[in-house]
Amino acid sequence: MFSLRFPIALKNNLITYPPKRTTKPAPSSHYLHSINSQSHLFPSQSMIVTKCDTMAVVANNIPKVALGDEVEGGTSLDEDLTMPAELKMELMPKHVAVIMDGNRRWAEMRGLPLSEGHVAGMKSLKRMVKLCLSWEIKVLTIFMFSTDNWARSKVEVEFLFSLVERIVNSEIEAIMRERIKISMIGDSSKLPESLQRMITNVEESTKNHSKLQIIAAINYGGKHDVVQACKSVTKKVQDGLLHLEDINENIVEKELQTNCTEFPYPDLLIRTSGELRVSNFLLWQLAYTEFFFNQQLWPDFGKSEFVEALSSFQKRQRRYGGRHSSPSIQ
Amino acid sequence: MIGYLGLQLLWYFMQIIVSVWYHISIVGNMFESYFISYEVLNKYKSLHIGKLRYLAVVIESEEAHQTSKVIKLLQWLDSVGVKNVCLYDMNGVLKKSKDTIFQIMKNAKSIEEVNEDVTHHAPDHMTLEFVSYVDGKEAVAKAANLIFVENFKRHDIGGELDHQILLESHLNQALQIVGCKGPEPDLLLVYGPVRSHLGFPPWRIRYTEIVHMGSLNFMRYGSLIKAIYNFTKVRHNYGT
Repeated sequence: MFSLRFPIALKNNLITYPPKRTTKPAPSSHYLHSINSQSHLFPSQSMIVTKCDTMAVVANNIPKVALGDEVEGGTSLDEDLTMPAELKMELMPKHVAVIMDGNRRWAEMRGLPLSEGHVAGMKSLKRMVKLCLSWEIKVLTIFMFSTDNWARSKVEVEFLFSLVERIVNSEIEAIMRERIKISMIGDSSKLPESLQRMITNVEESTKNHSKLQIIAAINYGGKHDVVQACKSVTKKVQDGLLHLEDINENIVEKELQTNCTEFPYPDLLIRTSGELRVSNFLLWQLAYTEFFFNQQLWPDFGKSEFVEALSSFQKRQRRYGGRHSSPSIQ
Repeated sequence: MIGYLGLQLLWYFMQIIVSVWYHISIVGNMFESYFISYEVLNKYKSLHIGKLRYLAVVIESEEAHQTSKVIKLLQWLDSVGVKNVCLYDMNGVLKKSKDTIFQIMKNAKSIEEVNEDVTHHAPDHMTLEFVSYVDGKEAVAKAANLIFVENFKRHDIGGELDHQILLESHLNQALQIVGCKGPEPDLLLVYGPVRSHLGFPPWRIRYTEIVHMGSLNFMRYGSLIKAIYNFTKVRHNYGT
């Protein structure tokens, strides 16, 4: 019930939320030493960290260690994965989409380097992946980089792509062990070649995995997805596979990039940090998706917040406006 | 045994606390809403409506049959200076109520009647747009079809079939031709039991703020003002 986003907000978490950590801002050398001294965690899934609309500019401070390590002073990730009694397994959403927002603000509020915001964000993503694995959620789509984010500085953009590459490379063992399928949606042609190669390799390596599918939206835009779907339809018409008069919304839907999964339409969309928009993410696919806008910044979005989102989803009356059969469309 | 009973009692006590807090918060919301309605709270007295150029209202189709409530909502919006409104319900119930609504909202015009960009017209009348599911995904498919047909005509007369002809801008233009004239709303209010936009035209909600208002049966003026006020205070980054 605390997840209900009343028209009149109950509280502003950004003002009242106390920082979880009390560590002082660390110079980069100390930061790296701290990370190196920690043991690897189990299970160590892929953590791909980014924000969409408010990405921090962190130049030259790319962590050089596996991102499965904890930062000194942080909370343990060996937390209880037991599903709370309030949740029902049979009502779990099959597909959860997440717009991870708030890493930079999280770091700024604590007087920490911006890189620590991203590290903390990685921990949140790892927590979510572990919970999705435990609670049998089939698909997790994460919005990593939008087509609109190219407006940011070149340094920031290059840093983010480099970070993604390093994280995936360092977590590949965990991905294989946990049988996680990795897919990417978005226009990869504009990405650095090394990142393109990495994505191709990891997609190929994990194509037969089925326990959890993580869809990473990189250089993705909802409008661009629709346009490329329409272009695909054009090609099929030209090749004689389709007739012009057969083109309808269903034909277009089948060509969207989310057709890489058995469950292309998110049941639940979570966006953190209090923002109330979808920001060009999965525009076509969100028609019946339940929205959960949470005030917490992404690094603070943990198990209890995820339970709140899932509980809200399960309680909500799931109605599709009469679209189960054919609607009386006007 | 005693320990177990103690834990159970503690658990029930926590549930009571949470339940009480929940009901207190509901009552608090109601009071705040009434305070806003009676202009007791100063900060809501003047809204900077200029930032809200286009508002969309999504109503769950079953609730959309309550035309009187829809009209009341429009009158509230008119009174606070929101002049450009898009009304959406999935099944087109609001489209059927169009005539009734225009009979009562005498200063309102349909978006088809307004030639200039609706976000720039003088605020002496409301502009209403009525939208349903067919204006969303189906409209995009129609628009794409239109582009294909034009492209294939050129191909038939010796032109090269160009896959690159289909760009975002072309779809925008084609959507205008098939009748989808409205701009992207700045704010979208959802009235209904589900926190979903129920198929509102996907092409138009890239950066739209989405607020769930609850059931239309329990709509309150104060809640509406609060939602609009909060929107005017938001800082938009648009990807940067």
